[in-house]
Amino acid sequence: MKKFDIKKYLKTIIILCVILVAVVILAVLKPSETDLFKNTSPEMQKMIEQDANSTRKRVTVTYNNLLIINYASLSTSGAKVMSEKYVGFLGKVYPADKGGMKITGQMVNYTYRMLGCGENLMHGAKLTITLTTLTVLFGVLLGTILALGKISKNKILSKISGAYIFFFRGTPLLIQLFVVYFTVPGMFGFAWRDVFSSSDPEAVFKGAFVASVIAFALNSGAYCAEIVRSAIQSIDKGQFEAAKALGMTYRQTMTRIIIPQSVRRMIPNVSNEFIMVLKDASLVFAISLMDITTISKNIMTSEGSYLVFIPALIIYLLITAFFGFVFNKIEKKFSVYE
Amino acid sequence: MSDNYEYILKTEHVSKRFGSLEVLKDVNLSVKKGEVICIIGPSGAGKSTFLRSLNQLEKITSGKIFIRDELFLHRENDRTVDKLPKDKQQELLLEMGMVFQRFNLFPHKTVLQNVCEAPIVVKKEKKEDVEKRAKQLLEKVGLLDKADEYPSRLSGGQQQRAAIARALAMNPEIMLFDEPTSALDPELVGDVLNVMKELAESGMTMLCVTHEMGFAREVADRVLFMADGIITEEGTPEEIFTNPKVERTRNFLNSIL
Repeated sequence: MKKFDIKKYLKTIIILCVILVAVVILAVLKPSETDLFKNTSPEMQKMIEQDANSTRKRVTVTYNNLLIINYASLSTSGAKVMSEKYVGFLGKVYPADKGGMKITGQMVNYTYRMLGCGENLMHGAKLTITLTTLTVLFGVLLGTILALGKISKNKILSKISGAYIFFFRGTPLLIQLFVVYFTVPGMFGFAWRDVFSSSDPEAVFKGAFVASVIAFALNSGAYCAEIVRSAIQSIDKGQFEAAKALGMTYRQTMTRIIIPQSVRRMIPNVSNEFIMVLKDASLVFAISLMDITTISKNIMTSEGSYLVFIPALIIYLLITAFFGFVFNKIEKKFSVYE
Repeated sequence: MSDNYEYILKTEHVSKRFGSLEVLKDVNLSVKKGEVICIIGPSGAGKSTFLRSLNQLEKITSGKIFIRDELFLHRENDRTVDKLPKDKQQELLLEMGMVFQRFNLFPHKTVLQNVCEAPIVVKKEKKEDVEKRAKQLLEKVGLLDKADEYPSRLSGGQQQRAAIARALAMNPEIMLFDEPTSALDPELVGDVLNVMKELAESGMTMLCVTHEMGFAREVADRVLFMADGIITEEGTPEEIFTNPKVERTRNFLNSIL
Protein backbone atom coordinates (compact mmCIF):
# COMPACT_ATOMS: atom_id res chain seq x y z
CA MET A 1 0.00 0.00 0.00
CA LYS A 2 1.13 3.52 -0.74
CA LYS A 3 1.84 5.86 2.13
CA PHE A 4 -0.78 8.48 2.79
CA ASP A 5 0.54 11.64 1.16
CA ILE A 6 -0.66 14.56 3.24
CA LYS A 7 0.73 17.23 0.91
CA LYS A 8 -1.51 16.13 -1.93
CA TYR A 9 -4.61 16.59 0.18
CA LEU A 10 -3.46 19.69 2.07
CA LYS A 11 -5.68 22.09 0.13
CA THR A 12 -8.77 19.93 0.56
CA ILE A 13 -8.04 19.43 4.25
CA ILE A 14 -7.66 23.17 4.83
CA ILE A 15 -10.93 23.93 3.03
CA LEU A 16 -12.72 21.22 4.98
CA CYS A 17 -11.30 22.50 8.27
CA VAL A 18 -12.36 26.08 7.52
CA ILE A 19 -15.89 24.90 6.68
CA LEU A 20 -15.98 22.74 9.80
CA VAL A 21 -14.78 25.56 12.08
CA ALA A 22 -17.31 27.96 10.53
CA VAL A 23 -20.13 25.47 11.07
CA VAL A 24 -19.07 24.85 14.68
CA ILE A 25 -18.88 28.61 15.41
CA LEU A 26 -22.28 29.22 13.80
CA ALA A 27 -23.80 26.27 15.63
CA VAL A 28 -22.41 27.42 18.99
CA LEU A 29 -23.49 31.02 18.48
CA LYS A 30 -26.97 30.02 17.36
CA PRO A 31 -29.67 30.97 19.92
CA SER A 32 -31.14 28.02 21.77
CA GLU A 33 -34.73 26.82 21.55
CA THR A 34 -35.58 28.55 24.86
CA ASP A 35 -34.07 31.81 23.57
CA LEU A 36 -36.46 31.69 20.65
CA PHE A 37 -39.49 31.14 22.86
CA LYS A 38 -38.40 33.85 25.33
CA ASN A 39 -38.78 36.38 22.51
CA THR A 40 -42.44 35.67 21.99
CA SER A 41 -45.07 38.22 22.99
CA PRO A 42 -46.38 38.16 26.62
CA GLU A 43 -49.81 37.08 25.41
CA MET A 44 -48.39 34.09 23.57
CA GLN A 45 -46.26 33.15 26.57
CA LYS A 46 -49.31 33.23 28.76
CA MET A 47 -51.18 30.92 26.42
CA ILE A 48 -48.25 28.50 26.29
CA GLU A 49 -48.23 28.44 30.08
CA GLN A 50 -51.94 27.74 30.18
CA ASP A 51 -51.52 25.00 27.55
CA ALA A 52 -48.94 23.30 29.72
CA ASN A 53 -51.49 22.82 32.47
CA SER A 54 -54.45 21.80 30.34
CA THR A 55 -55.16 18.92 28.01
CA ARG A 56 -56.61 21.18 25.37
CA LYS A 57 -53.81 22.70 23.31
CA ARG A 58 -54.50 26.02 21.66
CA VAL A 59 -51.01 26.84 20.43
CA THR A 60 -49.43 24.98 17.52
CA VAL A 61 -45.68 25.06 17.99
CA THR A 62 -43.20 24.23 15.24
CA TYR A 63 -39.53 24.18 15.99
CA ASN A 64 -36.97 23.45 13.25
CA ASN A 65 -33.30 23.13 14.04
CA LEU A 66 -30.94 23.10 11.06
CA LEU A 67 -27.60 23.01 12.90
CA ILE A 68 -26.54 26.61 12.15
CA ILE A 69 -29.94 28.24 12.02
CA ASN A 70 -33.25 27.55 13.69
CA TYR A 71 -36.84 28.56 13.22
CA ALA A 72 -39.87 28.59 15.47
CA SER A 73 -43.43 29.21 14.50
CA LEU A 74 -46.28 29.60 16.96
CA SER A 75 -49.86 30.02 15.97
CA THR A 76 -53.11 29.84 17.83
CA SER A 77 -56.54 28.93 16.69
CA GLY A 78 -59.87 29.73 18.25
CA ALA A 79 -61.30 33.09 19.34
CA LYS A 80 -58.08 35.01 19.01
CA VAL A 81 -55.86 34.08 16.07
CA MET A 82 -52.21 34.91 16.64
CA SER A 83 -49.21 33.92 14.62
CA GLU A 84 -45.59 34.56 15.50
CA LYS A 85 -42.46 33.36 13.74
CA TYR A 86 -38.83 33.70 14.73
CA VAL A 87 -35.50 32.90 13.16
CA GLY A 88 -32.44 32.37 15.34
CA PHE A 89 -29.02 32.95 13.79
CA LEU A 90 -25.59 34.08 15.05
CA GLY A 91 -26.67 34.80 18.63
CA LYS A 92 -29.67 36.86 17.66
CA VAL A 93 -33.36 36.15 17.35
CA TYR A 94 -35.14 37.83 14.44
CA PRO A 95 -38.89 38.12 14.04
CA ALA A 96 -39.83 36.46 10.77
CA ASP A 97 -43.24 37.80 9.98
CA LYS A 98 -42.39 39.80 6.91
CA GLY A 99 -39.69 40.65 4.36
CA GLY A 100 -36.43 38.81 4.00
CA MET A 101 -36.63 37.13 7.39
CA LYS A 102 -40.03 35.70 6.52
CA ILE A 103 -38.56 34.06 3.41
CA THR A 104 -35.52 32.87 5.40
CA GLY A 105 -37.82 31.33 7.99
CA GLN A 106 -39.87 29.62 5.30
CA MET A 107 -36.75 28.26 3.62
CA VAL A 108 -35.48 26.83 6.92
CA ASN A 109 -38.85 25.23 7.51
CA TYR A 110 -39.12 23.78 3.96
CA THR A 111 -35.55 22.50 3.96
CA TYR A 112 -36.11 20.90 7.36
CA ARG A 113 -39.17 19.09 6.09
CA MET A 114 -37.72 18.08 2.72
CA LEU A 115 -34.60 16.66 4.34
CA GLY A 116 -36.88 14.51 6.47
CA CYS A 117 -35.33 15.73 9.74
CA GLY A 118 -36.87 14.24 12.84
CA GLU A 119 -38.59 11.57 10.75
CA ASN A 120 -37.77 7.97 9.85
CA LEU A 121 -36.26 6.72 6.58
CA MET A 122 -39.61 7.01 4.82
CA HIS A 123 -39.34 10.79 4.54
CA GLY A 124 -37.73 13.39 2.37
CA ALA A 125 -34.11 13.20 1.27
CA LYS A 126 -33.61 10.10 3.43
CA LEU A 127 -36.26 8.30 1.40
CA THR A 128 -34.75 9.47 -1.89
CA ILE A 129 -31.24 8.36 -0.92
CA THR A 130 -32.30 5.00 0.55
CA LEU A 131 -34.51 4.22 -2.42
CA THR A 132 -31.82 5.16 -4.94
CA THR A 133 -29.06 3.23 -3.19
CA LEU A 134 -31.14 0.06 -2.85
CA THR A 135 -32.33 0.37 -6.45
CA VAL A 136 -28.84 0.69 -7.91
CA LEU A 137 -27.50 -2.10 -5.66
CA PHE A 138 -30.16 -4.58 -6.79
CA GLY A 139 -30.06 -3.11 -10.30
CA VAL A 140 -26.36 -3.88 -10.73
CA LEU A 141 -26.82 -7.42 -9.36
CA LEU A 142 -29.76 -8.07 -11.68
CA GLY A 143 -27.95 -6.33 -14.52
CA THR A 144 -24.90 -8.59 -14.13
CA ILE A 145 -27.10 -11.69 -14.32
CA LEU A 146 -28.94 -10.30 -17.36
CA ALA A 147 -25.69 -9.30 -19.08
CA LEU A 148 -24.17 -12.75 -18.56
CA GLY A 149 -27.42 -14.19 -19.93
CA LYS A 150 -27.35 -11.94 -22.93
CA ILE A 151 -23.77 -12.74 -23.95
CA SER A 152 -24.12 -16.44 -23.14
CA LYS A 153 -23.99 -18.97 -25.95
CA ASN A 154 -27.26 -20.45 -24.74
CA LYS A 155 -29.76 -19.05 -27.25
CA ILE A 156 -32.79 -19.31 -24.95
CA LEU A 157 -31.04 -17.50 -22.08
CA SER A 158 -29.82 -14.84 -24.45
CA LYS A 159 -33.30 -14.33 -25.93
CA ILE A 160 -34.93 -14.10 -22.49
CA SER A 161 -32.40 -11.50 -21.32
CA GLY A 162 -32.79 -9.57 -24.55
CA ALA A 163 -36.57 -9.55 -24.24
CA TYR A 164 -36.37 -8.42 -20.61
CA ILE A 165 -34.08 -5.53 -21.48
CA PHE A 166 -36.24 -4.60 -24.48
CA PHE A 167 -39.38 -4.56 -22.34
CA PHE A 168 -38.06 -2.55 -19.41
CA ARG A 169 -36.22 -0.02 -21.52
CA GLY A 170 -39.13 0.35 -23.92
CA THR A 171 -41.89 1.20 -21.44
CA PRO A 172 -42.30 4.18 -19.09
CA LEU A 173 -40.95 3.73 -15.60
CA LEU A 174 -44.07 5.37 -14.13
CA ILE A 175 -46.33 2.70 -15.64
CA GLN A 176 -43.94 -0.01 -14.47
CA LEU A 177 -44.29 1.45 -10.98
CA PHE A 178 -48.09 1.45 -11.30
CA VAL A 179 -48.04 -2.16 -12.49
CA VAL A 180 -45.95 -3.26 -9.50
CA TYR A 181 -47.95 -1.18 -7.03
CA PHE A 182 -51.50 -1.66 -8.34
CA THR A 183 -51.70 -4.40 -10.99
CA VAL A 184 -49.63 -7.12 -9.36
CA PRO A 185 -51.40 -6.98 -5.95
CA GLY A 186 -54.72 -6.71 -7.81
CA MET A 187 -54.03 -9.84 -9.82
CA PHE A 188 -52.79 -11.90 -6.91
CA GLY A 189 -55.18 -10.54 -4.31
CA PHE A 190 -52.89 -8.90 -1.76
CA ALA A 191 -51.91 -5.37 -0.79
CA TRP A 192 -48.41 -4.08 -0.30
CA ARG A 193 -49.23 -2.83 3.20
CA ASP A 194 -49.98 -6.45 4.19
CA VAL A 195 -46.27 -7.14 3.97
CA PHE A 196 -46.02 -5.32 7.30
CA SER A 197 -48.03 -5.81 10.47
CA SER A 198 -51.43 -4.17 10.46
CA SER A 199 -50.71 -2.40 13.76
CA ASP A 200 -47.83 -0.51 12.15
CA PRO A 201 -49.13 3.01 11.36
CA GLU A 202 -46.52 3.34 8.65
CA ALA A 203 -47.41 0.06 6.96
CA VAL A 204 -48.92 1.81 3.94
CA PHE A 205 -45.76 3.84 3.35
CA LYS A 206 -43.49 0.88 3.95
CA GLY A 207 -45.51 -1.21 1.51
CA ALA A 208 -45.30 1.51 -1.11
CA PHE A 209 -41.56 1.78 -0.45
CA VAL A 210 -41.01 -1.95 -1.02
CA ALA A 211 -43.09 -1.77 -4.21
CA SER A 212 -41.05 1.13 -5.54
CA VAL A 213 -37.70 -0.52 -4.75
CA ILE A 214 -38.89 -3.59 -6.68
CA ALA A 215 -40.20 -1.56 -9.64
CA PHE A 216 -37.13 0.66 -9.84
CA ALA A 217 -34.68 -2.24 -9.41
CA LEU A 218 -36.40 -4.22 -12.18
CA ASN A 219 -36.12 -1.19 -14.43
CA SER A 220 -32.58 -0.28 -13.42
CA GLY A 221 -31.52 -3.90 -13.99
CA ALA A 222 -32.28 -3.49 -17.69
CA TYR A 223 -30.10 -0.41 -17.97
CA CYS A 224 -27.34 -1.90 -15.80
CA ALA A 225 -27.37 -5.00 -18.00
CA GLU A 226 -26.27 -2.88 -20.94
CA ILE A 227 -23.61 -1.19 -18.77
CA VAL A 228 -22.22 -4.54 -17.59
CA ARG A 229 -22.44 -6.09 -21.06
CA SER A 230 -20.52 -3.28 -22.73
CA ALA A 231 -17.91 -3.33 -19.94
CA ILE A 232 -17.40 -7.09 -20.32
CA GLN A 233 -17.20 -6.84 -24.10
CA SER A 234 -14.64 -4.05 -23.85
CA ILE A 235 -12.18 -6.46 -22.22
CA ASP A 236 -9.47 -7.60 -24.63
CA LYS A 237 -10.20 -10.98 -26.25
CA GLY A 238 -6.68 -12.03 -25.29
CA GLN A 239 -7.78 -12.21 -21.66
CA PHE A 240 -10.34 -14.91 -22.49
CA GLU A 241 -7.74 -16.77 -24.54
CA ALA A 242 -5.08 -16.59 -21.84
CA ALA A 243 -7.55 -17.90 -19.25
CA LYS A 244 -8.68 -20.68 -21.58
CA ALA A 245 -5.11 -21.65 -22.40
CA LEU A 246 -4.46 -21.97 -18.65
CA GLY A 247 -7.38 -24.38 -18.38
CA MET A 248 -9.87 -22.10 -16.64
CA THR A 249 -13.54 -22.80 -17.16
CA TYR A 250 -15.95 -20.18 -18.50
CA ARG A 251 -17.26 -19.52 -15.01
CA GLN A 252 -13.75 -19.17 -13.52
CA THR A 253 -12.72 -16.89 -16.38
CA MET A 254 -15.75 -14.68 -15.82
CA THR A 255 -15.64 -14.45 -12.03
CA ARG A 256 -11.87 -14.21 -11.59
CA ILE A 257 -10.58 -12.49 -14.72
CA ILE A 258 -13.23 -10.70 -16.74
CA ILE A 259 -15.73 -9.30 -14.22
CA PRO A 260 -13.07 -7.86 -11.83
CA GLN A 261 -11.60 -5.99 -14.80
CA SER A 262 -15.03 -4.87 -15.99
CA VAL A 263 -15.91 -3.37 -12.61
CA ARG A 264 -13.60 -0.41 -13.05
CA ARG A 265 -14.94 0.30 -16.52
CA MET A 266 -18.49 0.09 -15.19
CA ILE A 267 -18.08 2.68 -12.43
CA PRO A 268 -18.51 5.88 -14.50
CA ASN A 269 -21.65 4.47 -16.11
CA VAL A 270 -23.03 3.14 -12.83
CA SER A 271 -22.44 6.61 -11.36
CA ASN A 272 -24.49 8.00 -14.23
CA GLU A 273 -27.22 5.44 -13.64
CA PHE A 274 -27.23 6.33 -9.94
CA ILE A 275 -27.91 9.98 -10.73
CA MET A 276 -30.64 9.02 -13.21
CA VAL A 277 -32.33 6.83 -10.60
CA LEU A 278 -31.98 9.59 -8.01
CA LYS A 279 -34.06 11.85 -10.22
CA ASP A 280 -36.42 9.09 -11.37
CA ALA A 281 -37.10 8.39 -7.70
CA SER A 282 -39.25 11.53 -7.69
CA LEU A 283 -41.87 9.45 -9.52
CA VAL A 284 -42.86 7.93 -6.17
CA PHE A 285 -45.02 11.04 -5.69
CA ALA A 286 -47.53 9.10 -7.83
CA ILE A 287 -47.96 6.50 -5.09
CA SER A 288 -47.86 9.16 -2.38
CA LEU A 289 -44.53 8.35 -0.81
CA MET A 290 -43.13 11.42 0.93
CA ASP A 291 -39.93 12.06 -0.97
CA ILE A 292 -38.39 15.50 -1.64
CA THR A 293 -40.60 16.06 -4.66
CA THR A 294 -43.86 15.06 -2.94
CA ILE A 295 -43.11 17.23 0.08
CA SER A 296 -42.27 20.27 -2.06
CA LYS A 297 -45.44 19.74 -4.08
CA ASN A 298 -47.49 19.46 -0.89
CA ILE A 299 -45.99 22.65 0.54
CA MET A 300 -46.74 24.40 -2.74
CA THR A 301 -50.38 23.31 -2.69
CA SER A 302 -51.12 23.80 1.01
CA GLU A 303 -49.15 26.99 1.68
CA GLY A 304 -49.09 28.50 -1.76
CA SER A 305 -45.36 29.03 -1.63
CA TYR A 306 -43.87 29.09 -5.08
CA LEU A 307 -40.35 29.45 -3.66
CA VAL A 308 -40.29 25.95 -2.20
CA PHE A 309 -38.87 24.39 -5.38
CA ILE A 310 -35.61 26.31 -5.08
CA PRO A 311 -34.41 24.57 -1.87
CA ALA A 312 -35.73 21.33 -3.43
CA LEU A 313 -33.42 21.77 -6.41
CA ILE A 314 -30.50 22.66 -4.17
CA ILE A 315 -31.02 19.54 -2.05
CA TYR A 316 -31.04 17.37 -5.20
CA LEU A 317 -27.86 19.07 -6.43
CA LEU A 318 -26.07 18.54 -3.12
CA ILE A 319 -26.97 14.84 -3.09
CA THR A 320 -25.79 14.47 -6.70
CA ALA A 321 -22.53 16.26 -5.95
CA PHE A 322 -21.87 14.08 -2.91
CA PHE A 323 -22.43 10.80 -4.73
CA GLY A 324 -20.50 12.03 -7.76
CA PHE A 325 -17.56 12.60 -5.41
CA VAL A 326 -17.96 9.14 -3.83
CA PHE A 327 -18.04 7.37 -7.22
CA ASN A 328 -15.01 9.34 -8.33
CA LYS A 329 -13.08 8.09 -5.28
CA ILE A 330 -14.21 4.50 -5.90
CA GLU A 331 -13.07 4.72 -9.51
CA LYS A 332 -9.63 5.97 -8.44
CA LYS A 333 -9.36 3.15 -5.95
CA PHE A 334 -10.09 0.56 -8.62
CA SER A 335 -7.56 2.11 -11.01
CA VAL A 336 -4.47 1.17 -9.02
CA TYR A 337 -3.28 -1.33 -11.61
CA GLU A 338 -3.56 0.96 -14.62
CA MET B 1 -0.75 -41.25 -17.07
CA SER B 2 1.37 -43.53 -19.20
CA ASP B 3 4.66 -42.33 -20.56
CA ASN B 4 4.60 -44.94 -23.27
CA TYR B 5 3.95 -42.91 -26.33
CA GLU B 6 5.76 -42.26 -29.53
CA TYR B 7 4.62 -38.72 -30.23
CA ILE B 8 3.65 -36.21 -27.63
CA LEU B 9 1.73 -34.32 -30.27
CA LYS B 10 0.64 -35.30 -33.74
CA THR B 11 -1.66 -33.78 -36.33
CA GLU B 12 -3.05 -35.41 -39.45
CA HIS B 13 -4.59 -33.53 -42.33
CA VAL B 14 -5.49 -30.52 -40.23
CA SER B 15 -7.27 -27.82 -42.18
CA LYS B 16 -9.00 -24.65 -41.15
CA ARG B 17 -11.29 -22.40 -43.08
CA PHE B 18 -12.56 -18.93 -42.19
CA GLY B 19 -15.55 -18.60 -44.50
CA SER B 20 -14.17 -19.05 -48.00
CA LEU B 21 -10.59 -18.39 -46.90
CA GLU B 22 -8.58 -21.55 -46.43
CA VAL B 23 -5.96 -20.78 -43.81
CA LEU B 24 -4.65 -24.28 -43.17
CA LYS B 25 -4.57 -26.95 -45.82
CA ASP B 26 -3.67 -30.44 -44.76
CA VAL B 27 -1.02 -29.82 -42.10
CA ASN B 28 0.76 -32.91 -40.79
CA LEU B 29 3.18 -32.71 -37.92
CA SER B 30 4.60 -35.11 -35.37
CA VAL B 31 6.41 -33.91 -32.28
CA LYS B 32 8.51 -36.12 -30.04
CA LYS B 33 9.12 -35.39 -26.40
CA GLY B 34 11.96 -32.95 -25.89
CA GLU B 35 11.96 -31.67 -29.42
CA VAL B 36 12.27 -27.97 -30.13
CA ILE B 37 10.52 -27.02 -33.32
CA CYS B 38 10.45 -23.59 -34.89
CA ILE B 39 7.85 -22.65 -37.44
CA ILE B 40 8.88 -19.88 -39.79
CA GLY B 41 7.28 -18.37 -42.83
CA PRO B 42 5.68 -15.25 -44.29
CA SER B 43 2.83 -13.59 -42.46
CA GLY B 44 -0.59 -14.92 -43.33
CA ALA B 45 0.81 -18.39 -43.83
CA GLY B 46 -1.35 -19.82 -41.02
CA LYS B 47 1.44 -20.35 -38.48
CA SER B 48 -0.39 -18.77 -35.58
CA THR B 49 -3.71 -20.33 -36.53
CA PHE B 50 -2.07 -23.75 -36.54
CA LEU B 51 -0.58 -23.20 -33.09
CA ARG B 52 -3.88 -21.88 -31.73
CA SER B 53 -5.85 -24.78 -33.13
CA LEU B 54 -3.59 -27.19 -31.23
CA ASN B 55 -4.84 -25.98 -27.87
CA GLN B 56 -8.38 -25.39 -29.06
CA LEU B 57 -8.38 -21.61 -29.23
CA GLU B 58 -9.46 -22.18 -32.83
CA LYS B 59 -11.71 -25.03 -33.93
CA ILE B 60 -10.24 -26.88 -36.88
CA THR B 61 -12.47 -27.53 -39.88
CA SER B 62 -11.20 -31.04 -40.40
CA GLY B 63 -8.33 -33.29 -39.43
CA LYS B 64 -7.11 -35.25 -36.45
CA ILE B 65 -5.14 -34.13 -33.43
CA PHE B 66 -3.39 -36.72 -31.26
CA ILE B 67 -1.92 -36.01 -27.86
CA ARG B 68 0.31 -38.74 -26.43
CA ASP B 69 -0.87 -41.02 -29.24
CA GLU B 70 -4.47 -40.70 -28.11
CA LEU B 71 -6.97 -39.35 -30.58
CA PHE B 72 -7.79 -36.04 -28.95
CA LEU B 73 -10.06 -34.61 -31.61
CA HIS B 74 -11.26 -35.68 -35.03
CA ARG B 75 -13.31 -33.32 -37.13
CA GLU B 76 -14.59 -33.48 -40.68
CA ASN B 77 -16.37 -30.64 -42.48
CA ASP B 78 -16.77 -28.58 -39.32
CA ARG B 79 -18.35 -31.47 -37.42
CA THR B 80 -16.75 -33.33 -34.56
CA VAL B 81 -16.49 -36.98 -35.51
CA ASP B 82 -14.68 -38.24 -32.47
CA LYS B 83 -13.16 -36.78 -29.35
CA LEU B 84 -12.07 -37.67 -25.86
CA PRO B 85 -14.47 -37.19 -22.95
CA LYS B 86 -14.43 -33.66 -21.63
CA ASP B 87 -12.49 -34.25 -18.40
CA LYS B 88 -9.82 -36.24 -20.22
CA GLN B 89 -9.61 -33.53 -22.86
CA GLN B 90 -9.16 -30.88 -20.18
CA GLU B 91 -6.43 -32.95 -18.54
CA LEU B 92 -4.48 -33.22 -21.77
CA LEU B 93 -4.98 -29.55 -22.64
CA LEU B 94 -3.32 -28.63 -19.35
CA GLU B 95 -0.19 -30.30 -20.69
CA MET B 96 0.10 -27.46 -23.19
CA GLY B 97 1.33 -24.06 -22.05
CA MET B 98 0.79 -21.11 -24.32
CA VAL B 99 2.69 -17.83 -24.66
CA PHE B 100 1.03 -15.12 -26.70
CA GLN B 101 2.39 -12.41 -28.92
CA ARG B 102 0.72 -9.73 -26.80
CA PHE B 103 1.47 -11.35 -23.40
CA ASN B 104 -2.16 -11.26 -22.20
CA LEU B 105 -1.19 -11.01 -18.56
CA PHE B 106 -4.09 -10.31 -16.22
CA PRO B 107 -3.72 -6.57 -15.60
CA HIS B 108 -5.63 -6.53 -12.31
CA LYS B 109 -3.32 -9.05 -10.67
CA THR B 110 0.31 -8.68 -9.64
CA VAL B 111 2.99 -10.70 -11.39
CA LEU B 112 3.00 -13.26 -8.58
CA GLN B 113 -0.79 -13.53 -8.61
CA ASN B 114 -0.70 -13.96 -12.38
CA VAL B 115 1.64 -16.91 -12.00
CA CYS B 116 -0.27 -18.47 -9.09
CA GLU B 117 -3.81 -17.98 -10.41
CA ALA B 118 -4.25 -21.07 -12.60
CA PRO B 119 -2.52 -23.66 -10.38
CA ILE B 120 -4.69 -22.57 -7.45
CA VAL B 121 -7.96 -22.18 -9.33
CA VAL B 122 -7.67 -24.93 -11.94
CA LYS B 123 -5.50 -27.53 -10.25
CA LYS B 124 -6.69 -26.70 -6.72
CA GLU B 125 -3.15 -26.73 -5.39
CA LYS B 126 -2.28 -25.28 -2.01
CA LYS B 127 -1.53 -21.58 -2.07
CA GLU B 128 1.76 -21.83 -0.16
CA ASP B 129 3.12 -24.57 -2.43
CA VAL B 130 2.18 -22.64 -5.55
CA GLU B 131 3.69 -19.43 -4.28
CA LYS B 132 6.95 -21.15 -3.48
CA ARG B 133 7.11 -22.66 -6.96
CA ALA B 134 6.03 -19.37 -8.55
CA LYS B 135 8.88 -17.54 -6.86
CA GLN B 136 11.35 -20.11 -8.14
CA LEU B 137 9.98 -19.65 -11.64
CA LEU B 138 10.14 -15.86 -11.36
CA GLU B 139 13.73 -16.16 -10.25
CA LYS B 140 14.42 -18.33 -13.27
CA VAL B 141 13.07 -15.68 -15.63
CA GLY B 142 14.79 -12.91 -13.65
CA LEU B 143 11.68 -11.22 -12.28
CA LEU B 144 11.69 -12.09 -8.60
CA ASP B 145 12.08 -8.42 -7.65
CA LYS B 146 8.99 -7.57 -9.69
CA ALA B 147 6.75 -10.17 -8.07
CA ASP B 148 4.46 -7.64 -6.43
CA GLU B 149 4.24 -5.19 -9.32
CA TYR B 150 1.26 -4.90 -11.62
CA PRO B 151 1.94 -5.83 -15.26
CA SER B 152 1.38 -2.25 -16.44
CA ARG B 153 4.56 -1.25 -14.60
CA LEU B 154 6.72 -3.74 -16.46
CA SER B 155 8.44 -3.39 -19.82
CA GLY B 156 7.26 -5.57 -22.69
CA GLY B 157 10.15 -7.96 -22.25
CA GLN B 158 9.47 -8.33 -18.53
CA GLN B 159 5.78 -8.90 -19.22
CA GLN B 160 6.57 -11.62 -21.71
CA ARG B 161 8.92 -13.33 -19.25
CA ALA B 162 6.21 -13.14 -16.61
CA ALA B 163 3.82 -14.72 -19.12
CA ILE B 164 6.31 -17.55 -19.69
CA ALA B 165 6.54 -18.10 -15.92
CA ARG B 166 2.74 -18.13 -15.75
CA ALA B 167 2.52 -20.85 -18.41
CA LEU B 168 5.29 -22.88 -16.75
CA ALA B 169 3.54 -22.77 -13.38
CA MET B 170 1.04 -25.31 -14.71
CA ASN B 171 3.92 -27.76 -15.29
CA PRO B 172 3.11 -28.31 -18.95
CA GLU B 173 4.79 -31.01 -21.04
CA ILE B 174 4.87 -28.85 -24.12
CA MET B 175 5.11 -25.12 -24.59
CA LEU B 176 3.57 -23.28 -27.51
CA PHE B 177 5.06 -19.87 -28.35
CA ASP B 178 3.06 -17.66 -30.67
CA GLU B 179 5.52 -15.03 -31.97
CA PRO B 180 6.64 -14.25 -28.41
CA THR B 181 9.04 -11.47 -29.42
CA SER B 182 7.12 -9.79 -32.24
CA ALA B 183 5.52 -7.15 -30.03
CA LEU B 184 8.77 -6.22 -28.29
CA ASP B 185 11.23 -3.40 -28.78
CA PRO B 186 14.41 -4.79 -30.38
CA GLU B 187 16.57 -4.29 -27.28
CA LEU B 188 14.15 -6.32 -25.15
CA VAL B 189 14.04 -9.35 -27.43
CA GLY B 190 17.31 -10.80 -26.11
CA ASP B 191 16.10 -11.37 -22.53
CA VAL B 192 13.03 -13.26 -23.68
CA LEU B 193 15.03 -15.38 -26.14
CA ASN B 194 17.54 -16.23 -23.39
CA VAL B 195 14.75 -17.51 -21.17
CA MET B 196 13.42 -19.60 -24.06
CA LYS B 197 16.91 -20.94 -24.77
CA GLU B 198 17.36 -22.04 -21.17
CA LEU B 199 13.98 -23.68 -21.32
CA ALA B 200 14.94 -25.58 -24.46
CA GLU B 201 18.19 -26.70 -22.87
CA SER B 202 16.33 -28.00 -19.84
CA GLY B 203 14.56 -30.47 -22.13
CA MET B 204 11.17 -28.82 -22.58
CA THR B 205 9.23 -29.75 -25.69
CA MET B 206 8.68 -26.50 -27.56
CA LEU B 207 6.79 -25.36 -30.59
CA CYS B 208 7.67 -21.78 -31.55
CA VAL B 209 6.24 -19.63 -34.24
CA THR B 210 8.97 -17.06 -34.64
CA HIS B 211 10.63 -14.52 -36.88
CA GLU B 212 13.90 -14.73 -34.97
CA MET B 213 15.99 -16.68 -37.45
CA GLY B 214 19.08 -16.58 -35.24
CA PHE B 215 17.13 -18.24 -32.44
CA ALA B 216 15.66 -20.86 -34.78
CA ARG B 217 19.07 -21.65 -36.15
CA GLU B 218 20.71 -22.00 -32.76
CA VAL B 219 18.06 -23.71 -30.69
CA ALA B 220 15.70 -25.63 -32.96
CA ASP B 221 16.00 -29.35 -33.58
CA ARG B 222 13.75 -28.98 -36.56
CA VAL B 223 12.57 -26.00 -38.58
CA LEU B 224 9.31 -25.99 -40.49
CA PHE B 225 8.73 -23.54 -43.29
CA MET B 226 5.07 -22.77 -43.71
CA ALA B 227 3.46 -20.84 -46.55
CA ASP B 228 -0.12 -20.57 -47.78
CA GLY B 229 -1.44 -22.96 -45.17
CA ILE B 230 0.89 -25.88 -45.78
CA ILE B 231 4.28 -26.95 -44.53
CA THR B 232 6.31 -26.60 -47.71
CA GLU B 233 9.62 -27.65 -46.28
CA GLU B 234 11.01 -29.07 -43.09
CA GLY B 235 14.43 -30.12 -41.90
CA THR B 236 17.26 -29.35 -39.53
CA PRO B 237 18.19 -25.66 -39.21
CA GLU B 238 21.29 -26.46 -41.24
CA GLU B 239 19.27 -27.83 -44.14
CA ILE B 240 16.71 -25.05 -44.14
CA PHE B 241 19.00 -22.09 -43.68
CA THR B 242 22.03 -23.07 -45.72
CA ASN B 243 20.52 -25.22 -48.39
CA PRO B 244 16.79 -24.73 -48.83
CA LYS B 245 15.35 -27.00 -51.48
CA VAL B 246 12.10 -25.26 -52.20
CA GLU B 247 11.98 -22.05 -54.22
CA ARG B 248 9.46 -20.44 -51.84
CA THR B 249 11.73 -20.99 -48.83
CA ARG B 250 14.72 -19.60 -50.65
CA ASN B 251 12.84 -16.45 -51.63
CA PHE B 252 11.61 -15.94 -48.08
CA LEU B 253 15.03 -16.37 -46.53
CA ASN B 254 16.62 -14.11 -49.12
CA SER B 255 14.11 -11.38 -48.41
CA ILE B 256 14.66 -11.35 -44.63
CA LEU B 257 18.33 -12.18 -44.17
